[in-house]
Amino acid sequence: MKVKTNIGWLILLLFIALFPGTLGRMSPYYNTVLILVGIYVILAVSLDLLIGFAGQISVGHAAFYALGAYTSGILTVKHGISPSIALLCGLLVSGFVAWGIGRAVLRLKGYYLAMATLGLNAVIVKLITCFASITGGASGLLNIPPFRIFGLTLQDHTYYYYFVWGVVILVISCCLALARSPFGSTLIAIHSDEEAASTLGIDCPKYKLHVFVISSMLAGMAGSLFAHFMGFIAPDDFDIFTSILILVMLFLGGVGTIYGAALGAAFLKLLPEVTYRFQNYELFFHGLILILVLIFMPKGLLGILTHIKDWSLKSKHRSNLSSLGMER
Amino acid sequence: MHDETNRNGRVDGKHLLRVDGITKSFSGLTALSDVSFGIERSHIKALIGPNGAGKTTLLNIISGLLSPDSGHVYYRGRDLMRLRPHEIAAQGLSRTFQLVRLFTANNAKVLDNLLIGAHSKLKPSLLKSLFLRGIIRHQHREVRERAYEQLRFVGLERAAGDTSPSNLPFGNQRLLEIARALMAEPEVLLLDEPASGLNDAEVEDFKKILLALKEKGMTILLVEHNMKLIMDVADEIVVLDFGRKLAEGNCDEISRNRKVIEAYLGSDYTKLAGGNHSA
Repeated sequence: MKVKTNIGWLILLLFIALFPGTLGRMSPYYNTVLILVGIYVILAVSLDLLIGFAGQISVGHAAFYALGAYTSGILTVKHGISPSIALLCGLLVSGFVAWGIGRAVLRLKGYYLAMATLGLNAVIVKLITCFASITGGASGLLNIPPFRIFGLTLQDHTYYYYFVWGVVILVISCCLALARSPFGSTLIAIHSDEEAASTLGIDCPKYKLHVFVISSMLAGMAGSLFAHFMGFIAPDDFDIFTSILILVMLFLGGVGTIYGAALGAAFLKLLPEVTYRFQNYELFFHGLILILVLIFMPKGLLGILTHIKDWSLKSKHRSNLSSLGMER
Repeated sequence: MHDETNRNGRVDGKHLLRVDGITKSFSGLTALSDVSFGIERSHIKALIGPNGAGKTTLLNIISGLLSPDSGHVYYRGRDLMRLRPHEIAAQGLSRTFQLVRLFTANNAKVLDNLLIGAHSKLKPSLLKSLFLRGIIRHQHREVRERAYEQLRFVGLERAAGDTSPSNLPFGNQRLLEIARALMAEPEVLLLDEPASGLNDAEVEDFKKILLALKEKGMTILLVEHNMKLIMDVADEIVVLDFGRKLAEGNCDEISRNRKVIEAYLGSDYTKLAGGNHSA
């Protein structure tokens, strides 16, 4: 069974690796779509660490996405700093802001935390609009250079595609490693019962802050990747609706599994590529599919997949038993 | 034990854990007033009293979940009052809860609960979990072995590590919570009504666990209503009534104490307790 799951992963990796050469050839547009999918996978997966594992609901993930994007954009456009260094700065700035704000905000619980992070997102977007001389204001920041690493400019979307997906795979494996380590168990304890966790020696504020910082840093990195890919960023890309979109991706895919978040992000980003065929009814079908998924798959898309797997295992088990004449 | 002199100059070598003049009121309602007693190393001290006497409040104060209006808790002569709950736990005090509080978020399993119990041993920081995975994996393996040992010790060897705690029968959930507390390798165990909701056979098994722990040198503060269990295991008993200490002494003294009988046990209990002791 272990081998089987590995084969599934190999097929997925192979698909990602071969995509630009095959399907992507047909139209460069598909490459751009998959790059955006990759960026949203990072956002959803990083939010899953915070919400799915530590149980801290944030409705302001796009604030840190914005911080990364604007740090990268401003440093490269206004100060001519190399994009790879700008990306690191984006990581650090989002992490630092998350550290400062998290110390105060993470004392709140449940809906109050959700409201505070929602407010944070609104404040960040407002600040970006107000400081127009630095950020370009409401009309956006233009001419952000493409990503350059080791003297190689990743102008071509195929190269950038591989870069982004390389980062995505790195992020997913780091998040999985964290989630499966005792650090992940500690987060689950905090999620279940902070008081009980503290009587077992867990410093809840510290762990909540650490997971908030790492989750925000990853969002900031997604922002940098986005800025260098689009070449143009505006406050609208990072408003509350973006945060809610990331949340929907997470809950759609299945919360607290990492894979689920990745699946949800891919599904929701690819869905418009199908529903646009319905033209005027596009939004209707988009909404309908979302509602159906959320009603009939309470554990998300991943829940359905594991359900099917369990079911097939069980039926195999049953057929084995019956072949031995031991059916219950 | 000879070096356990607390800062107030009071020599307190006898007691491993000592509560001193604890007073706590909730919006004017006094839950505890001036409660003091100590527990000797490797003793089982029972804390009894009618519902609302302040037993759980006192346990919450000792474990740092509540802070008292006045008074101190000394552990090995060190004042615990400035410490936060996780620091107190790290000092070697573990507890269980009256209503079992197991971790169930994210499909956490029996084994996960036990591994979390070993937190103060593992100290899995973010950076360590990301970059020192070899060390973490090695420690994890040791802790996992210890987890199965603890499961065997509390008699849960049949509960598979990957079952969900909420699928266990209630009595087993209590035992699992105790096993989780033991994973921290504490010196003092604070148990809040561990036998409530257990049937007679389970209480009998639980008694064996308590005595085995005492044998190993564990110091236990036991909040309990089951008097038969207490008479069988406790070294001393403290009686609380309306937040005041009513009496303190060994089982015989308490069962003969008129004030206790009037306030709490009821007149017919004396016969029962006496019967137990002659048997």
